[in-house]
Amino acid sequence: MQHRLEEIWMTISVGILVVFMIIIGYQTFALGMGPPSHSETIDPQKVEQIAPFDDPGVKEIAENEYEVVMILQSFGFNPSNIEVPVGAEVHFTMTSKDVTHGFQVPGTNINAMVMPGHIQKISHTFKEPGNYLVICNEYCGIGHQAMSTTITVK
Amino acid sequence: METTKTLKTEKPEKYDEKSLKGTIVSVGFVAAVIVVMWVAVFWIYMERV
Ligand SMILES: [Cu+2]
Repeated sequence: MQHRLEEIWMTISVGILVVFMIIIGYQTFALGMGPPSHSETIDPQKVEQIAPFDDPGVKEIAENEYEVVMILQSFGFNPSNIEVPVGAEVHFTMTSKDVTHGFQVPGTNINAMVMPGHIQKISHTFKEPGNYLVICNEYCGIGHQAMSTTITVK
Repeated sequence: METTKTLKTEKPEKYDEKSLKGTIVSVGFVAAVIVVMWVAVFWIYMERV
């Protein structure tokens, strides 16, 4: 026995799922808007001896393109004074020396889990100048609530 | 004779179809909620890229 209405809602249900998956697939593979990487690993005991983490900081890697090499540890971000120009593409390369930390800039799409042993990469372009708050959003110990810094965009 | 037979078997199916109207409205409502929420989150994400 076939019901016309049943056919309609089954088609719509499957259609919605397929449309969502096509849009997300297009974003990820064609526009490169995938989630943070975690594809590279590192020995968390030797972070400070291994490049690029032997020299953390903000580096201009191309015209209007910056890389921020950052080590996260209880309970801070190194470097903690980050300054980048408006409209520049900023690539964050991060790892943790101890436990899992978070790297979130509220109001933007920057939200990454930074785990010891893994190298985390996330890119962002700040379109508006200002001071952006950076917070650790993974509970990492007794000083977790104090783990924050700012990014200055000029 | 044969035509009346087929008519008789078709009739109960039509009644069944009518009784599904409320269901499709409910399913449509759920679908609308899902689509609206998905589009809203997608819009916020794209706004911040
Ligand atoms: Cu932390």
